[in-house]
Amino acid sequence: MKVLEVTLDDEKEFINFFDKNYVFFKHHLISIIGEVNENIHKYLQEKELIYIVNTVLPKSQKSSLKKEVQVIQEEKTIEKKEQIKEVKDNLRVIDTLVRSGQELNISGDLLLLNRVNSGASINIKGNLIVTQIVEGSIRCYGNFMMLKASPKANIIFHDVEVENIHLTNKLNRVELKNNEIIITPVLKETNWG
Amino acid sequence: MGIIIAVISGKGGVGKTTTTANIGLGIALNGKKCVVVDFDIGQRNLDMILGLENRVVYDMVQVMDGEVKLKQALIKSKMSDNLQFLAASQTKDKSVLDSQKILNLVTELSKEFDFVILDAPAGIETGYEHTIEFADRAIIVVNPEVSSIRDADRAIGILDSKSQKVKDGGEVMKYLIINRIDAKMVQSGEMLASEDILAILSIPLIGKIPEDKGIIDASNQGKPIILDNSSLAGKAYSRISARLCGQEVPLENVEVLKSGLMSKIKGIFK
Repeated sequence: MKVLEVTLDDEKEFINFFDKNYVFFKHHLISIIGEVNENIHKYLQEKELIYIVNTVLPKSQKSSLKKEVQVIQEEKTIEKKEQIKEVKDNLRVIDTLVRSGQELNISGDLLLLNRVNSGASINIKGNLIVTQIVEGSIRCYGNFMMLKASPKANIIFHDVEVENIHLTNKLNRVELKNNEIIITPVLKETNWG
Repeated sequence: MGIIIAVISGKGGVGKTTTTANIGLGIALNGKKCVVVDFDIGQRNLDMILGLENRVVYDMVQVMDGEVKLKQALIKSKMSDNLQFLAASQTKDKSVLDSQKILNLVTELSKEFDFVILDAPAGIETGYEHTIEFADRAIIVVNPEVSSIRDADRAIGILDSKSQKVKDGGEVMKYLIINRIDAKMVQSGEMLASEDILAILSIPLIGKIPEDKGIIDASNQGKPIILDNSSLAGKAYSRISARLCGQEVPLENVEVLKSGLMSKIKGIFK
């Protein structure tokens, strides 16, 4: 939970500030230092803001109001940038085959349009789709992975070995739902283009 | 500038040295100047297979160290004037190799010859890495069995990451030779079929060589099998050499048993 600490000196200024920056702080806990009169109580209740008065919160740094706003605004823009970056960097597409002895360590998602040869290994934190046969080993910690039937592969999904008997179809979707691994066949013949 | 070709396999005993000797001689017989270099320092074999065992005086390491001139160490083959041979050192080990020295040697060789063929040692250690370091092309020799395929796969992976050409942003051209194919075993499904091997390695095929018992005798006598016109393996090596020289030779299917009159008669009684 995020907390906003405000020193209350002037009523007008205070209300003005919240009128302007309501959007930023509507989910914050507002800790007010100073005397709170009825007008302000009313105002805060109208806006459905959660607040506490003159409570000492354990906090490492006290920052002034303006600074806080600035930081939050900066945070917002950074978050946006990171989101865009994540979308760009998160998915990797590889179309070369993974040869024996090669090791791919990937933190995002991976779309692999080629085979994984015996002796190769893929460690992935995100989701994985392999469109061709797997003969190496795969360790996947994403929400789902999609694989072809791969009798020679060693596949581990969230530290559980996915037995090859269950991967009987052309393409299988392996996913984690309520701590259970569910394997559903993808019936439609997929055309990868 | 000549073309530098490394003959690699990853696994030992699949026929690298035999292939090097035969292809080297085959290219020479096609009228191109060719030199074969044994990079298996400490375990040289190529001299024996080429029948030049007793003519080795100086070796590659002495040339690289500047003790002797290249011309002094090159040995002319008896079988073709176009073929020359540079021996590996038998007394030293692979640690004597050094990138700069190898670059100097192969550059000097490629100035004088159309083809420089390097016989890599088995394994993927420094000796192997030095062999592929300055290669323009690579011939990968495999046998139709899983362990050979996996080792070759690993060797290709290293080739694609450690050769100078790749570091410069280029690509080493790769050719696959499937050696020791037993038609009977392929047909009965005991041996891997070529299509499966090609799917796993995904590099272009340049030739298939059938299993031939004559190769052992040919190696023992120091006469490469390519000189034997009646041998199936010899013919296969001739075709591969012609392809390397730029000729268009159709691939022959060595996986189908040629049914002679006797086998037909036997078939009736089965």
